[in-house]
Amino acid sequence: MASPTNTKRLIPWFAAALVLAAIVAAWSWKSGDTEAVLGRTVRAAAPLILGGLCGLIGERSGIVNIGIEGQMLISAFAGFMASSYTAGMGTLASLVIGILAGMIAAALTGTFMGWCAISLKMDQIIAGTVVNIFAAGFTSYAFIQGRTQPTYPQWSVPVLADLPIVGKVFSQGPLTYVAFVVVIIVQFALFRSRWGLRTRAVGEHPSAADTVGIDVLRLRYVNMTIAGSLAGIAGMLLLQSASVFNRGMTNGIGFIALAVMLFGRYRPFGVLLGGLVLGFFNGLQAQLQFRQAFDIPPQFFGMIPFVFTIAVLAFAGVSARPPAAAGVPYEKE
Amino acid sequence: MLKNRRLLALLGALMLFAAACGGSDTTTETGSGDTEETSEETAEAETEEEAPVSAEGDCSADDFLCVGLVSDVGKIDDKSFNQSAWEGVQGSVADQFDFIETQDSNDYGTNIQTFIDQDYDVIVTVGFAIGEATVEAANANPDVLFIGVDQFQGAEIANLAGLIFPEDQAGFLAGALAGLMTESNTIAAVLGTDLVPPVVAFQQGYENGARYTNPDVDVISTFHPGGLDVAFTDPAWGADTARQAIDSGADVIFGAGGLTGNGALGEIAKEDGAAFCIGVDSDQWETVPEARPCLITSAMKLITPGVQDLIAGAQSGDFTGGNVVGAVGLADYHDFSSVIPQEVQDEIAALTPLVLSGEVATDGS
Repeated sequence: MASPTNTKRLIPWFAAALVLAAIVAAWSWKSGDTEAVLGRTVRAAAPLILGGLCGLIGERSGIVNIGIEGQMLISAFAGFMASSYTAGMGTLASLVIGILAGMIAAALTGTFMGWCAISLKMDQIIAGTVVNIFAAGFTSYAFIQGRTQPTYPQWSVPVLADLPIVGKVFSQGPLTYVAFVVVIIVQFALFRSRWGLRTRAVGEHPSAADTVGIDVLRLRYVNMTIAGSLAGIAGMLLLQSASVFNRGMTNGIGFIALAVMLFGRYRPFGVLLGGLVLGFFNGLQAQLQFRQAFDIPPQFFGMIPFVFTIAVLAFAGVSARPPAAAGVPYEKE
Repeated sequence: MLKNRRLLALLGALMLFAAACGGSDTTTETGSGDTEETSEETAEAETEEEAPVSAEGDCSADDFLCVGLVSDVGKIDDKSFNQSAWEGVQGSVADQFDFIETQDSNDYGTNIQTFIDQDYDVIVTVGFAIGEATVEAANANPDVLFIGVDQFQGAEIANLAGLIFPEDQAGFLAGALAGLMTESNTIAAVLGTDLVPPVVAFQQGYENGARYTNPDVDVISTFHPGGLDVAFTDPAWGADTARQAIDSGADVIFGAGGLTGNGALGEIAKEDGAAFCIGVDSDQWETVPEARPCLITSAMKLITPGVQDLIAGAQSGDFTGGNVVGAVGLADYHDFSSVIPQEVQDEIAALTPLVLSGEVATDGS
């Protein structure tokens, strides 16, 4: 006889099987539409996942980061400018330089927030707000309209891209694949590596971590910088889609990423799931409009992800316990 | 995040600081800071672009025409709608001109008042959303002339001209071309928001035009699901939606919605000729060069000459309130004139006068 714990463990598998069955059913009903929605799901999920991971790594090491939106915006701006000025060096070189510039800019922003939170012991919410406001203001001012950069290629994975159902999932811009690789790496690093153990220790009980010889402040700095570079890729993902920078182009994705992090209960695979769910609603709303399935205002569909997030946080999020030391500056005793 | 006025002040300070540090060729956002500084800055920016230069003078004098433009929450350099109106102001008979980029829809009235306080003679407000504030200002200031681009006037006010366009006709022609060019028999439209009537007119014209030339065509259109504040400034959404439309089988896509639409055009351009795109408002071949690999034409609203003519009327005292209907049309095919079959070009050329004269109804009847 299965014990209650075992039954509980089966729930995610049941859920996964149900989703799979629903996808197959939808596909056999409307194949083209289903494939298009799945493609969009993955595309829209990628920046949310990376933004969520940025928040997650910060919070796991004890720093609440609400500046993801600003980090993404700064990254997209820096990446665009770098690519734009190096466009003469060829598409590949220019794009790589842009991606590096975006990641570095966002990583440095992460370090700056770390400095505010760790060394200055500032209120972390304020530090994040400062970054968001600065990013919006600075990029608005410094942006030069009319510049262009090379566009990102569309990569189709051989064989996989020709499969039914999931074909469009494997036809994305290069950075989209990076997002899904990164989430797997972070999951394993966080729960299977020395870095992960230390990070979690620093986020849960920094003084205990300190007594066993972990340099709490240094690890927090390092993690904020790493997390920033992930927000950087998230920002570059928006640029990968839009091809040009635009003022305020993040449009709140950095904040939705925070919700994705909560939805994922501070676990990378949870963030992955949360990102995919919200991405799916993105795709669904466009496709329902395409087919004029219902005579419902588009704004209603635009609302669904947010209502969904609130519902999930209200019902399931109760058990999502943030790391104990999140938001608390560490002071040696 | 730009919703804070204090932030605007901060921005202004940063802007002046950076300007002092050596030239920048961005046009500035006014709204705070003093006018003299900003019009200097504007003038500087224009010299670099070799655009007409705004003079400095006394706006209360009779023979000195001052024209101010207040943008919608879109940007003055959005490469389509606001920019066309601003170019109309720059190219007009005005002696002094300046613009205010609205950052928050609560500031419409304040921004208009800023120009009134400086004795500006003509105030151009751009966009449907700012219409209500314009009507209020026009009623309160009968001595100032107002031009409301895209603002349909329900009741006539003597000092307010609403420059409106038959977007349905422009959309119809674009749709007619799309219907002839599609091979998959699926065409798409990626649009701003249905909260703005001109966008809806574009969409309906487009769908009916496509069915007019190709009764079997399947038109898939999407409006941005966000509010007025983001619907026209979300290129990433536009791009992702355009990609989804391509994945759904569309091979001609109409991008109509400021920067959101431009994002769609840029994404379709990645298909390198496999899918066509159609721009909006101005000839986007000139304004969105990254869309050139796919851009077969643009559904144009001739905002620039419309604004110019109205300002000229204000100058000569020949200004009438109420609705003024501007011209629309399809932009040049540019490099695609060799790709679009001659018989298609002939059919569009024959259809154009019929649609513009109203002989062919755009409502699909």
